[in-house]
Amino acid sequence: MKLSQRIICYWSVLSLIWASTLLSQAQNTTYKGMFRGSSMKVDGTSTVHDWTIESKLISGAIELKGAFPSDLAVSEVPALSGTPKADVKISARSLKSGKPKMDQVMLAAMKADDHPWITYSLKSLAPSKAERKSGDALAYDSVGELTVSGVKKEIKMPVTFTPTEKGMKINGKIQIKMTDYGIDPPAPKIALGLITVGDELDLTFEWHTQKK
Amino acid sequence: MASVMAVMASGKDVLQPSPSLAQAASTNAGPPVKFGVIGCGYHGRDIVGTLAVLPNAPVVALCDHYGAFLRRTGRSAPDAKQYANYKDLLADENVEAVVIATPSHQHKEIVQDALKAGKHVYCEAPLASTIEDAKAIAMAAHQHPKQYFQAGLQFRSDPQRDFLVDYVRTGAWGQTVSARSQWHKKTSWKRAAPTNEREKEINWRLDKNLSTGLIGEIGIHQLDAKSWFLGKRPQAITGIGSTVLWKDGRSEPDTVQINLEYEGGIHAGFDITLCNSFDTDYEMYYGTDAALMVRGSQAWMFKEADAPMLGWEVYAKKDTFFKEVGIYLVANATKLTTVTGSGEDDAKDNPYNDTPLYYALENFVHNAYVHQSGVEDFIAGFGDEDEDVLREYLVELEGSKKPAANYKHGYEASVIACKAHEAILGNKRIEIPSELFELA
Repeated sequence: MKLSQRIICYWSVLSLIWASTLLSQAQNTTYKGMFRGSSMKVDGTSTVHDWTIESKLISGAIELKGAFPSDLAVSEVPALSGTPKADVKISARSLKSGKPKMDQVMLAAMKADDHPWITYSLKSLAPSKAERKSGDALAYDSVGELTVSGVKKEIKMPVTFTPTEKGMKINGKIQIKMTDYGIDPPAPKIALGLITVGDELDLTFEWHTQKK
Repeated sequence: MASVMAVMASGKDVLQPSPSLAQAASTNAGPPVKFGVIGCGYHGRDIVGTLAVLPNAPVVALCDHYGAFLRRTGRSAPDAKQYANYKDLLADENVEAVVIATPSHQHKEIVQDALKAGKHVYCEAPLASTIEDAKAIAMAAHQHPKQYFQAGLQFRSDPQRDFLVDYVRTGAWGQTVSARSQWHKKTSWKRAAPTNEREKEINWRLDKNLSTGLIGEIGIHQLDAKSWFLGKRPQAITGIGSTVLWKDGRSEPDTVQINLEYEGGIHAGFDITLCNSFDTDYEMYYGTDAALMVRGSQAWMFKEADAPMLGWEVYAKKDTFFKEVGIYLVANATKLTTVTGSGEDDAKDNPYNDTPLYYALENFVHNAYVHQSGVEDFIAGFGDEDEDVLREYLVELEGSKKPAANYKHGYEASVIACKAHEAILGNKRIEIPSELFELA
């Protein structure tokens, strides 16, 4: 090959690589967590009564390669091109029960002074094999790492994605145990005697995100 | 049993822990909030003394332009830095919250500067001596959502009164008929000072151009209690005042009476005198089924003979007042035994024995921390470009705060006090347009 032809060839290849990189980058979509509408509820039990604490501050972002499927009229949940990156954080002290004393007991049990943040990092997202009908939210099986009170654990959680006017709404639910995260179920002393809090907790979240 | 029934009637959760001082000190009372107190007069000293008892309210700074007061109050807070100028105290980064206990007509600039300096503010009531100044204070609080503002209407933090309002809302007294209150104490209300100039300064309350007099400086709490209990704002006030005993050149009357008119033909009378001490202070609320008497942190219900039985009253403690039998009401959610005993056991039966000021400051510390941590967490997650969204979150946070008077309560009570003062000085009836209560 003549030198000039070689140079043209190299530049063409380089341009192709550069263009394809640009193209794939242009297709990455970031959905940033929003305050409005977002909530994470933790439902628990005790020897006296059931209880709920809730945080309205779910911050973070989910980044997808390519746009997220927005057509709910599909018969099957489509696979995603690559694993999305998702990192979420929730301040432990933003969890509120509506009862100040209970909040204090909970934060002490979670050692919130040393571990102020609950974090989640997504590792994989695969289409759910559960039956679906057209119009249902898109269901996926997620695997991620949840860190509470400084203890990191892998969790498998079914989640659903629903496109919204601003971006995406993500819902999920999982049951965890306090003791798995090194949290001793609180046993606060009150005038009636000791309350013992149950180990199992149901975490339910709805996360509203905005497309950037 | 009576307590359980009262609790069920009020809908209050059974699991509220007993709020004694000793227990508060030994339980986790929440992270500390560091205080600066501006104004070290009589009430300022009271505030410093109360903060000293709270486990998480260290006083790190004091301010008063009058050296003798500053030094005297400093003895109750020996670790606090002392400032003669409030601007220097506000520049102290160690101060997170300020209590403003200066004369009422001096509140405005201090509140505005404190909020600009990023401090949480507890402003004594009345907020100011004029409606214009009270509005400026309320608007400043509104324009600084990142800081927590509480008005010094202590009754709003009193757990017994908080319980009573819920109880009243169940319709326990039937249809509202009227209300009446009094504050009586034989005292000159005049303070001594080493110089004429200082005496004039320290007796600002006796000057009708500087203060709202008895009805504002003393009556503000009972005026606000009426709005709170009746769930209404007055539409007109008639006032009358005279100087009966303390004829020492003061321009404020020593005996005042007002009549407040509310929607629905409801009237409330209120008299304050410095000339007689009989029966001290209390409030009465009259309904078609019962009357409610509130004295300090205690309350009794006097049922009409034809009122429906509630059931639990059969077991309740009763006290006799002349010919009337009053059913003792107490927000005693933890005891499941009948409240019994004679009047001497009242202190034992009623666990809410701390002063309203104690509860108000205790709740301020808690609420300031909840507010500040909420703002920090919001900004850490979502940034601080959109203040409207932050305000939405702060509305959500109200459910996690303890009962306290906000800037709207403070402003409305101050409007009523100012208008009542105007009526008293003019010996006349004044109408209060509802728009006056709105903050534009």
